[in-house]
Amino acid sequence: MLPIVSMTLFLPLLGALLVMASRNASARVVHGIGIATSALTLAGALWIWLRGVQPGAFAQVEQVDWMPTIGAAYRVGVDGISLPLVLLTAVLFLLTFIFSAKVRDRPHAYVVLMLMLETASIGTFTSLDALLFYVFFEVSLVSMYFMIAGWGYEDRQRAALMFFIYTLLGSLPLLLAILGLYLGSDPHTFDMRVWIAHPPLTGLAAMLALVAMLFTFAVKTPMFPFHTWLPVAHVQAPAAGSVILAGVMLKFGTYGLLRFALEMTPVAFRDAAVVILVFGVFSALYGAFAALAQTDLKRLIAYTSVNHMGYVIVGVAVAALATSPAVRAIALDGAVLQMVSHGLVTGALFFLVGMLQDRAHTREMDRFGGLLKYVPLLGWSFVLAAFASLGLPGLAHFPAEFQIFLATLRVEPLALIVILGIVVTAGLYLRAIGKVFSGAPREQWATMPDLNLREVLVLAPLLALIVAVGVAPSWVLDTVHRTTAALRF
Amino acid sequence: MTGMSQMSHDLSYLIPEVIVLIAGGGTLALEMLRLPRAALAFAIVGLLLAACLTLPLLGVDTSVFGGTFRIDTLSVWAKLILLPSTVLSLLLVRAELAGSDREGTVYSLLCFTTFGALVLAGGGDAMLLVLGVLLSSLGAFALVAYPRNDAATEAAMKFFVFASVTGSVMIFGLTYWFGATGSTLLADLAHLDKAPLAAAVGLVAVITGLGYKASLAPFHFWAPDAYEGAPVAVAAYLSVVPKIGAIFALAQVVRDLPSTTGWPLVVASVAVLTMSWGYLAALVQDNVVRLLAYSSIAQAGYFLLGIVAVGESPLAYSSLVVFAAAYAAMNLGAFAIVQGTGRTLDAFSGMARTTPVAGIAMTVFLISLVGIPPLAGFVGKFLLFGAAIDAHFTWLTVVAILNSVLSLAVYLRIIVPMFRSGGDEGEGNVIPPRGNAPLIIAVWVIALMVTVGLGFAGQLILATVARA
Repeated sequence: MLPIVSMTLFLPLLGALLVMASRNASARVVHGIGIATSALTLAGALWIWLRGVQPGAFAQVEQVDWMPTIGAAYRVGVDGISLPLVLLTAVLFLLTFIFSAKVRDRPHAYVVLMLMLETASIGTFTSLDALLFYVFFEVSLVSMYFMIAGWGYEDRQRAALMFFIYTLLGSLPLLLAILGLYLGSDPHTFDMRVWIAHPPLTGLAAMLALVAMLFTFAVKTPMFPFHTWLPVAHVQAPAAGSVILAGVMLKFGTYGLLRFALEMTPVAFRDAAVVILVFGVFSALYGAFAALAQTDLKRLIAYTSVNHMGYVIVGVAVAALATSPAVRAIALDGAVLQMVSHGLVTGALFFLVGMLQDRAHTREMDRFGGLLKYVPLLGWSFVLAAFASLGLPGLAHFPAEFQIFLATLRVEPLALIVILGIVVTAGLYLRAIGKVFSGAPREQWATMPDLNLREVLVLAPLLALIVAVGVAPSWVLDTVHRTTAALRF
Repeated sequence: MTGMSQMSHDLSYLIPEVIVLIAGGGTLALEMLRLPRAALAFAIVGLLLAACLTLPLLGVDTSVFGGTFRIDTLSVWAKLILLPSTVLSLLLVRAELAGSDREGTVYSLLCFTTFGALVLAGGGDAMLLVLGVLLSSLGAFALVAYPRNDAATEAAMKFFVFASVTGSVMIFGLTYWFGATGSTLLADLAHLDKAPLAAAVGLVAVITGLGYKASLAPFHFWAPDAYEGAPVAVAAYLSVVPKIGAIFALAQVVRDLPSTTGWPLVVASVAVLTMSWGYLAALVQDNVVRLLAYSSIAQAGYFLLGIVAVGESPLAYSSLVVFAAAYAAMNLGAFAIVQGTGRTLDAFSGMARTTPVAGIAMTVFLISLVGIPPLAGFVGKFLLFGAAIDAHFTWLTVVAILNSVLSLAVYLRIIVPMFRSGGDEGEGNVIPPRGNAPLIIAVWVIALMVTVGLGFAGQLILATVARA
């Protein structure tokens, strides 16, 4: 059997080495390498998808000794929770490379960093060794720092610094938790499968490890009150960086919440689930209301991310509280699908804002008006993505949020107050569409060009996927459900 | 076994040390003949030969001369780390001081100072500790004073006064241990649990003496001044070789010290003070050499996380050795780049554009010093954290982790200007390479390979430590 997971994982790194080796290549060639590599990576991810997952265990596991003395090994594999995220990562990176083909400022370094980021992202989702997971988790952080610092907007240095220090502070407690789990396992190992099958810590130690992990993943997700880095980083990051940050990297937080916190300290998680649920609900509502107060389109979308990721936290917490396996599976199905939907929808929205900014050099909603008349393709794409984001049935977020709310209703009906968030996001998106795309057209934007071919190529697959997930979510959910239905904790 | 054959048996274990001494002496002789290049070559060949002859000793755990000198994981790996580090330092010195008056004496002094560090790392006897501190200090004073300008003389003077006081305190305190146990052997320290007061006095004194050598707070004040006054190459050397020797010596001392003396808590407190003081002070430095000096103080505090775990965790020795190797590589690399670029932060402005490869290398060294994976510094710190938690010092690990965040702010002070766009105004400050730039480049390329390679190949070291 071909080690297809590892091949997919390291293809981008290989591309990065190729770019580094061809120092005199033109920007076109360099971007070509980036697009080709990420397309091959997507092909690899699809191949993994076709091989599928199996219930109750990780599939397609590949393993090589790394530091056997301390029980660390290179171990990768997928299950129904990680596989959709791998596919999402591969799709978003390919589109990001196509979108970024216009970058003329240090294209070599840009493509190398993006490819490193792609390997780190896929690695984070496929690692089955905690040490390896941490390595990929941190490499993604460093790559994103240089991405924001190197190609961001006006205040990029400060934003990059804040992002780096904040998330490093955030990720180090995870290292503590990993060490705790490692020292608690007997014999000592970093094998995540062993930790999941036999949670190494109990009692207070497990609770402390859980608190450390919650801190890490709350910063990454981000959950209120640890979200303050997000709007700053998003506003200053280049559009492509924002897409990856929101579409892929925020999922590290919720994926870790599920994979590490829930699966490795299940008892402690259940004890703390009500608190986590309250934080999730509050975070979702806070994100929605904070978004309502924004006039900058990018900040607005950044805050709706806090809202949408809050639903994921609610889903995971409800799953921990659920007593019936069926309800638990519904909650987790919803949470995982919500991650995928958020990646697709927010990815599309950040691309659209980036395209708008390229044309208008502003993101202030008040400065636009009636754009549908001048740029119908861009406008209608935005309307579709915005409707998806506010949870319209038939679009990507609906089946995910529906399942989360359904499980919440069965487990903790009080928490359904979170649905208020949907009302608020609906209001704010309608207001944004009203201000920017409908209303009285403004003369100054009359010459704004509509989407060009490259931009259509970026948006069309995303919008198609948003509809595909919304109309027929079962093609994703079947894979997810195979794993979530077999989870035992 | 007769005395004679015991003697030759013991000496056979000391072949590497003997070769280092011969290298130092021979280098001095060649310098007297005014053959600096030959002196350099002799020193390098001698040190590398000694390192090669150390390889068969991997996995040996014994002691020689009645237990006064230990051949164990720490002392063997000290040779394997410190001898190549000294060779790299020799290359840096050559690049900086080539053609200067009495250049060869520096090579010779480096050999003798390294010998002192090796004595420290394998010391099994209190007298050997004193000898090691003296040997590695005497050469170091002269190295710092070498440029013979006001700054260097002042730095050497401070260094000397500081060393004399702390050295005397150490000897004074060791007499208490001798009085309480009736022996200078460190292995006999186990009897100290019956004499708590003597144990405490001796402990404080030893931490003072070795703490000065390893630049642990609050005995670190000499380091930034000495590094700043000394040639950059000498600063690089002092921040690595004697420091690791002293840290390993501390591990040798606490190995047999009963924990009823409370040494783990004392060492942990020193660790907290050292890490925090080092990084807080580094935050306000504008001189890169001083910044790296404070950074090397803070890094010494991280070593102590491995020390507190000695006897408690099987990870203690592996973490000390791996981090020592990682620290030597990344610190020498960072100093090498500073030597080729300049001592002020301004000199680093826009460096990633003017000399991209060196800029990326410097970024790698600094990020590794923070402890970000997958680089060597991460593996080392990760093992140190694991050892400390295993020894029930979780709170110390939390402090170390918070300091790692602080350290990011410190090292970003160098990284950020390197990647600043349009920062070419700093170009005027760049010290033009002095015709020996290839040597500097060779040093940081080797350091870079180790810093990146060790991140993946930590097993190479771990396997040998586990066997021992």
